[in-house]
Amino acid sequence: MMSNREKVLLSLFLVFMIIPVYAYAGSLSDDAQMCLGCHSGKDVTKQLENKEVLSLFINGDAFANSVHNATGCGGCHTDISMDNHPQPKKIKSKKDYSASNSNSCSMCHMEDQLKKKQMHGYLISRTKNISCAECHGAHYITSLAKWKTGLTEMQYCLSCHKYDISMTHGSGETMSLQVNEAAMKGSAHGSLSCGACHMDFSKSDHPVRTFKSKKEYTANAIKVCTLCHREEELRKSPAHSTSISKASCTDCHGFHTVKGIKAQKATAQDTQYCLSCHKSKLSMTMKNGESLSVYVDEAEHKKSVHGKLSCTQCHATFSKTAHPARSFSSKRDYSLSSLSEVCKKCHADAFTKYEAGVHYSLMKSGNSKAPSCAECHGGAHSVAKTDTSTGMKSCNKCHSDMNSSYEASVHNKARQAGKANAPVCSSCHNAHDVQMTGMTTQIKDGCLKCHSNAGELHAKWLWNPPIPSSTFAATHFDVVSCAACHATGATRVISLIPHECSTRKPLMQEDLAALLNTDVEGLMGKMDINGDKSLDASEIWDLYVTLWKKDTRSTFLGKMDVSSGAEAHRIGSKSEAIRACEKCHQTGADYFKNVSLVVAGSDGKRAVYEAKSDVLNSIYTILPASKFYALGGTSIKLFDILFVVALIGGIAVPIGHISLRVITSPLRSLRKMGKGGKK
Amino acid sequence: MKLIYLHPLAIRIWHWVNAGGFIILILTGAQIRFGNYMSLFSFETAVNIHSWLGFILLANYFIWVIYYLVTFKIKIYIPPLHHPIEYAKKALNQAKFYGWGIMVGDKNPHHSTPDNKFNPMQQISYLMIMVLLIPAQIVTGLFLWDPNLFGPIVNLIGGVQIASLVHVLLWIFFSAFIIVHFYLATLGHTPMAHIIAMFSGYEEEHEEHGHEHEEHGHEHGGGHGH
Repeated sequence: MMSNREKVLLSLFLVFMIIPVYAYAGSLSDDAQMCLGCHSGKDVTKQLENKEVLSLFINGDAFANSVHNATGCGGCHTDISMDNHPQPKKIKSKKDYSASNSNSCSMCHMEDQLKKKQMHGYLISRTKNISCAECHGAHYITSLAKWKTGLTEMQYCLSCHKYDISMTHGSGETMSLQVNEAAMKGSAHGSLSCGACHMDFSKSDHPVRTFKSKKEYTANAIKVCTLCHREEELRKSPAHSTSISKASCTDCHGFHTVKGIKAQKATAQDTQYCLSCHKSKLSMTMKNGESLSVYVDEAEHKKSVHGKLSCTQCHATFSKTAHPARSFSSKRDYSLSSLSEVCKKCHADAFTKYEAGVHYSLMKSGNSKAPSCAECHGGAHSVAKTDTSTGMKSCNKCHSDMNSSYEASVHNKARQAGKANAPVCSSCHNAHDVQMTGMTTQIKDGCLKCHSNAGELHAKWLWNPPIPSSTFAATHFDVVSCAACHATGATRVISLIPHECSTRKPLMQEDLAALLNTDVEGLMGKMDINGDKSLDASEIWDLYVTLWKKDTRSTFLGKMDVSSGAEAHRIGSKSEAIRACEKCHQTGADYFKNVSLVVAGSDGKRAVYEAKSDVLNSIYTILPASKFYALGGTSIKLFDILFVVALIGGIAVPIGHISLRVITSPLRSLRKMGKGGKK
Repeated sequence: MKLIYLHPLAIRIWHWVNAGGFIILILTGAQIRFGNYMSLFSFETAVNIHSWLGFILLANYFIWVIYYLVTFKIKIYIPPLHHPIEYAKKALNQAKFYGWGIMVGDKNPHHSTPDNKFNPMQQISYLMIMVLLIPAQIVTGLFLWDPNLFGPIVNLIGGVQIASLVHVLLWIFFSAFIIVHFYLATLGHTPMAHIIAMFSGYEEEHEEHGHEHEEHGHEHGGGHGH
């Protein structure tokens, strides 16, 4: 008979020994029970090399219910047995640990088998960095059917899509497939199940799809949006009406994190709100079919000098509540409109100057290469602070042919030598009110900005005795460009520019064509009567007379310049400048050999009509070019002949008279004699 | 024979300065214009001389103006246009003299005196020259000397090319004129008579002039100088 004390001890022993067995439903293997002796404690942890703390706690009940209960612990943890455990084991990170342990899965789950399920196979082969355990867990895996039953659709999907998985399109673009569960739940679509939008997918179906590009994927994906958001409703908004055909819904609204538009407007600043669409590669199509990007790179914009401006400060007609639908005939049309609407608001001075310049004229005429603000300063959203290099870079886009000559000039040499006031393009040509140098001598104002004493210096030697005068040098400045004397080795040309006397402005090509009853293309044909492709003096006279008959009093002002812009930039040193008067002031001077009639077009370009080299030496051009005179260069040939004739006549008079007197001397002698006889 | 004081000192100075100046201006003008064909001077020298002389002759012109205005002798240049027929006849006679009379030994129909120095043809031509052509030459010369300085007036006449046109045409005229003028100066009673008179001021008057009704003529070219 056991004593009461013995009975209690026996009961306790039985309880102690039997309870754990009952606790694990009696199905845990011996080694599992052994392992759980320690791993059932929730405070069993291990610090990994990356300082992560790995819990080593195993819920015995849950494990007992898992499909892997039968394999026991050693079935997977093959490297651990009671003979060698516990022993220090170095583990880098949770991910690393999970990956290495997942290798054991393939002992039972053969890869071929796993790949039978298309998506599973896809994931295994394409996403090497996800271990089995990351999706399926480790110790508590139940049968797939049972697992699915216990999950909502979103939970099921997120079991994989909470991870950083991605798919690669045919174009090579990689698209993340990760879904932020919290953000998704907080979005306007938070209450929807995944399958509400991704209708092909469900807990039981996960087709494998391939797309050429992200764009193709998106185009396919957004079809579902219109199921709830009817397109005709969406188009009522002006912003939608212009962008809906250009952008996908997700470009502007996002997808898993989409917010209600009211909430978006309430929380977003103006700029953020605008960027919600314009951060996407949106574009607008012009009436002529051109496409204009309306994408804004936020980072670039913040770095630009406009970085502190909000969108609406420039785009004043737009706001969170207003997005007018606009249409433009062309990108040029848009640029012109933007210039006057946007840039002008703050840069009125520069804009007024720009309006007076040749670039604006060219742009207005539809020249697609004519620069607006952006072409020189960069796009409005990335505009950089202007300095001397701005012009050097931007002007070169169109005027690169000037480069080599500028580089050879004294100006560039000064720049290379680091002289602060060494001129760049805008120093002479101005930045905004750039004029056509071929039509005027205004460019000299550019020269005079630095060479302000040029007038005095020239007047020191360029005057006629006996009275020193500064106006004689100025006479040259009026008609001779600086480059004509200072550009090394240049070919000099004379431009005859028809001006209207009453307005003192050049006659425009279009006006001239209208006066001659032709169009711009037919102008030369009308002027060049004999059709030899070169105007002779009588043809210039005919033009002058025709204009006169049409009540247009004109005068053809002359100007001497070099033959090309490239030559004009080849400014040499002072010692290389032309100083010999005979270069121009001699009959038949080479510098007067190249003569052209030059007419400005309303597009800012100039038309050059070649003329014969001797037109300025003809009496026909005395009246048309009566205000253009150069001693020697414009000498009238006929007067030279007249001079010789006058000299011959002057000499012939005495010779003739003396001859007559000699011949008639007998008459005088007779008369004398007769008178003498009488006497 | 007696001496008539025909050319006052001021006029003689003016004349010879003018004569020398004209010749050099014509030559430098030719040099400037025909630099390709002649090289009496360099271009710059020709321009410098031309400019200097232009101003000298401008000043010289005022000697003439002031002398004739102050002394009221300007009337010797004024043709008697209030007797146009009589004046025309005299002019015709003078022309006939040079064209024929001088050949056959006719006497010069004009007899120079200080108050009636010029024959009718001289009178009209010298008046034109002194009042119109020389001022025009001076003014257009000034315009070409510094077109900007006289810009507004240059524009008024149509432009600097017009100024040049006038200047060059007058240069051509004066070039021919000065040859004929010199020849006419040799048609005194001796070839040097008028030229010497233009230096001395005194024109020799032959006795025949005092006896105009006598049939003796002489080859007198009429008052040379103006």
